[in-house]
Amino acid sequence: MTSQAQPDVPVSADEQKAKEAYFTASQRQLIWARFKKQRTALVAAAVLLALVLSGLFAPFLSPYDPTIAGRDKNYTNGAPQIPQFCDSNGCSARPFIHAVERERSIKTNFRWVTTINEDKRLYVQWFVSGDKYKLFGVIPGNLHLFGVEGGKIHLFGTDEDGQDIFSRTLHAVWTSLQVGTIGVLIAFVLALIIGGVAGYYGGAIDGFIQMVTDSVRVVPAIPLFMAVAAFMPPETSAEARFFYISLILGFIGWPTLARRVRTHLLTERNQEYVLAAQLCGASSSHVIRRHLLPSFTSYIIVDLVISFPYMVLSETALSFIGLGLKDPVSSLGVLLQKATSADVMLNYQWYFIPVIFFIVLVMAFVFVGDGLRDAADPYSDTHK
Amino acid sequence: MLQFARFVLTRAIMALTTLIVVSLVVFSLMELVPGDCAERYLAFKNTQGSGISVADIEVERQRLGLDKPFFARWAVWITNAFQGEFGDSCILRVSIANLLGQKFWLSLGICLASLALAYTIAVPVGIVAVASNNATLNNTLKFISYFGLAMPNFLLALVIMLLSTVWFGETLTGLFSKEFRDADWSWAKFVDLLKHAWLPIFILGWSATAFALQTVRALMSDEIGKLYVTAASARGVFGRKLLWNYPARHALGPIVNSLGFDLNRIFNELPIVALILTLTEAGALLIDALARSNDQQLAGAIIFLLTASIVTLNFVTDVMLAVLDPRVRKSILR
Repeated sequence: MTSQAQPDVPVSADEQKAKEAYFTASQRQLIWARFKKQRTALVAAAVLLALVLSGLFAPFLSPYDPTIAGRDKNYTNGAPQIPQFCDSNGCSARPFIHAVERERSIKTNFRWVTTINEDKRLYVQWFVSGDKYKLFGVIPGNLHLFGVEGGKIHLFGTDEDGQDIFSRTLHAVWTSLQVGTIGVLIAFVLALIIGGVAGYYGGAIDGFIQMVTDSVRVVPAIPLFMAVAAFMPPETSAEARFFYISLILGFIGWPTLARRVRTHLLTERNQEYVLAAQLCGASSSHVIRRHLLPSFTSYIIVDLVISFPYMVLSETALSFIGLGLKDPVSSLGVLLQKATSADVMLNYQWYFIPVIFFIVLVMAFVFVGDGLRDAADPYSDTHK
Repeated sequence: MLQFARFVLTRAIMALTTLIVVSLVVFSLMELVPGDCAERYLAFKNTQGSGISVADIEVERQRLGLDKPFFARWAVWITNAFQGEFGDSCILRVSIANLLGQKFWLSLGICLASLALAYTIAVPVGIVAVASNNATLNNTLKFISYFGLAMPNFLLALVIMLLSTVWFGETLTGLFSKEFRDADWSWAKFVDLLKHAWLPIFILGWSATAFALQTVRALMSDEIGKLYVTAASARGVFGRKLLWNYPARHALGPIVNSLGFDLNRIFNELPIVALILTLTEAGALLIDALARSNDQQLAGAIIFLLTASIVTLNFVTDVMLAVLDPRVRKSILR
């Protein structure tokens, strides 16, 4: 520690205070102080927060219902509509888009043809009422942040059913966060129990549990996910599917976490404070819960943040091959499923816009996890 | 020498135990699927017009040995599996060994090639980056590694497909040209394979490279600050000789050790990349078996084979490390 004061050097009151604050700071304050110093991690945390909030308020932020109920049947496979201020007819202070018209007549050879009417403007309005939704699943509402009057606006275009890709993307972010959270929590509880038992008792129990853990770890996860996910009968409802997938992710994600918990416990259980608690007559579960687990909470939180993006990616991969979530639910995998056809790649490239959101989401998680790991490690200052 | 043999033997036994536990997991998964082979066979016969009774199913079950207890069937399955015999697929009614055979080796070859690609890029680049001490270069590499992790291979595959269709108007799919698809192996077919395989190899190697780069950089920056490196440079060793003979040699051990898990990660991406690039190897078969036809015998065999190759690789790297690294060798011969 370079800030160690020499006893004969006079210390100003402010410095004294700062030092006292440092020595009396709680673990959380210390971690936050170290985390604040890392610029990339801080930026990533801000981005992450923004994404989480936009997912949380997705029903309000997105102009339309993400399911088939909110479809725009006049604008299927429509290109993104970017609000503009000026066109050939002059400028306006309020951004607008051009109206689209769809017709089928002898002129169009009796096929539906969508044309953009350059002369008709649809102005962007704030706080419009539209499709009904339930915020957080409980608060009913129909107010949306933006919309247009007398038509529909699709920032990221629409898919083949005319569903708004912008609305779907925001909802998909939220779905992935939910699946990831449930998966991580299940994996975490399993890891705590299994790793906790292995690490605390050691010996033969540890040996046996390690053998099983290593065997599960050595099986490639995605093929295993696929095998388990294939049990779901195809007629399973969307909500049930959602829970199954989270459950599967959790049940297969535990070994790595369990190993970490075990390693921490193995080193911690020989410390004096554990012996003291045992001599006082504390039960094993009491020692694990009250003494051992709090000793490495920060590490566990970091591990959880780090394992999060893998859950999100696995869910995406599963849904992508059709074994995960299915259509009424919006998730990245579901959104991308349609993007593989040559037709989409050649003509409707806006199907790929959600990908950007997910790369940003995963990278934000990775950077925050990395920053947290450095911040939670009390020796990170010394080995740099 | 005797101790070395004992070391190899213990490792081999450990690998076998792992495989047996894995086979139990895989076999239970196969068994959990509702409906067994007998019902499937007869359901098929039913569609062909012959009337089927419950008694017929029982007879068929006995013929296939499905009435035996779980562990007995598992024992039979695992003994056959070790001889490379996985029985018949209930759905396709052909021998799984025939169905998989070549396709599995093809997949394994592609995966190993991408693993090799990852390390041929990552090792020199990582070492040079750490040694150069250049902040911009290091930060760029860090960003690239994270990007490689965040951008799953299948998204990369999709993006490459997108660009190739937009720019070249050609989809880079499949593993063989039309004229070679069913031909026997020959030099021309091999060349044709190489012409098509570079894309899956590159895509599968992409995030493996990112991962390997991170490992190499972390290990090297740990080692390069150590006193033995300073001592060597004080003795007048410098440049490439210093790097390769001192810190790089120490960093090598953990890298060799992590090869198995890298292969694991590549296998994870295999089925999905196969789906996008419409390859016709084991990964595609796995998707077919699971997502479409629910063919648990085939899926179980593929998962078991993939795991077996990881376990084998782990065993080989363990032994290799013992031969290469004097510290490990000494600790065995102690």
